[in-house]
Amino acid sequence: MNQTDRPIANPIVVLREEFDDWAVLFNPDTADAVGTNPVGVAVWKLMNGKRSIEDIVLEIKNSFEDTPDAAFKEIAAFVNTLAENGFVGLEVESK
Amino acid sequence: MPEELKDKIEPTASRVMRTPRSLDIEITSRCNLRCRYCYFFNNPAMVYRDLPTDEWLTFFDELGSLGVMRVTLAGGEPFIREDLPVLLEGIVRNRMRFSFLSNGALIGDEIAAFIARTGRCEYVQVSVDGSCAEVHDSCRGQGSFDGAICGIRTLQRHRISVAVRVTIHRNNVHDLENIAHFLLDELGLPNFGTNSAGYMGTCRVNADDVLLNTEERKEAMATLLRLTAKYDGRISANAGPLTDGRMWRRMEEARAQNAPAFHNGGRLTGCGCPSNKISVRADGVIVPCNMLAHVELGRINHDSLAEIWQNSPALNQLRNRHTIPLTGFEFCAGCAYIPYCTGNCPGLAYTLTGTVDHPSPDACLRRFLEEGGAIV
Repeated sequence: MNQTDRPIANPIVVLREEFDDWAVLFNPDTADAVGTNPVGVAVWKLMNGKRSIEDIVLEIKNSFEDTPDAAFKEIAAFVNTLAENGFVGLEVESK
Repeated sequence: MPEELKDKIEPTASRVMRTPRSLDIEITSRCNLRCRYCYFFNNPAMVYRDLPTDEWLTFFDELGSLGVMRVTLAGGEPFIREDLPVLLEGIVRNRMRFSFLSNGALIGDEIAAFIARTGRCEYVQVSVDGSCAEVHDSCRGQGSFDGAICGIRTLQRHRISVAVRVTIHRNNVHDLENIAHFLLDELGLPNFGTNSAGYMGTCRVNADDVLLNTEERKEAMATLLRLTAKYDGRISANAGPLTDGRMWRRMEEARAQNAPAFHNGGRLTGCGCPSNKISVRADGVIVPCNMLAHVELGRINHDSLAEIWQNSPALNQLRNRHTIPLTGFEFCAGCAYIPYCTGNCPGLAYTLTGTVDHPSPDACLRRFLEEGGAIV
């Protein structure tokens, strides 16, 4: 089996939208929680194991005005941080 | 409002999140003990009946859909429910964590092993009020000390986090040093919390025998402050003599220096709970807090929790309590501590004065000093 570059949200993690579009991602198994802004929320909702990070960035650029050039780098870093903390995995592909 | 106080007091705004982060749930109205200061029993607002399993499971599904993170199961005694494993499965299935408030006596190996396997238990709080059975049982009943310690040891064997709470009253106020030694040195707990018996429920009936008088309160504050230093912060409190001792010392220092108001001073800011959590009584009635059981907001599985949370007039009135200045109360007239005072717990304010929107007389530093108390 190979890992792909298509991130998938850990289904056990709770997305709590709290104030406006700001949210908390909460892993009930570890009690870890991460606060995120509206872009992070949108990224989270797009991580279904079918989209690559490039696909996600493209959709974010279409949804938010004035997306900075560094968006890819920032979103990739955000996804990596979530992955390191068990909030996100990478879709596994059978050979 | 006097000009010198106006300068010191400036209200702050508050916002409410879409849904509560956590809930306090009285999962049962039954208890194996009848403690002499229990807030839960002898409350005229309460209806002492239990809901069937299915009602709670349906409600837990609603909590899951709202993204609630944590529930605290209390009672009554939560471990008295025979269907507890099924209820916990419902909580786990809905991606929540849980904790318990318990007297410890009904915690056996089987349920402890089940709790440990879920991996979702934050802690089990067990009440221990004495360093020995004689002191502990004086308010909780014969055999309750052995039950509590047995429960704690069972939890420890299963590596479940134990949080001990010591409720201070007239019969254990002289035992605090022994209690700290017993819990921290002998039982090896990392820490424990304290509060004191409050004028609620059964305690109202036994107030003269249970509640600390001014001298005892002063002794409790001095002892706890000393023990906290000795045990390097391993003793904590959100209410009771230790909190009062710390807070009143700060207030007196501020008053003596004519310092600016504390950021939450001068208004009824003593309770932030309605912004983060909400409670459910054993009969399924949703209330702002277990200490405000008479403020009925709705009923589980009949009324939308999100709707209540966002739009309940009673809940929003409680949230806006922080805008009410202490200078408007006759009770506070002329008090030099107003800029540093929060009015404390609305639940105690209600049971002592009959009004939620009133400072709690129990937490009044000026009154404490007038009755012979002293800053320690």
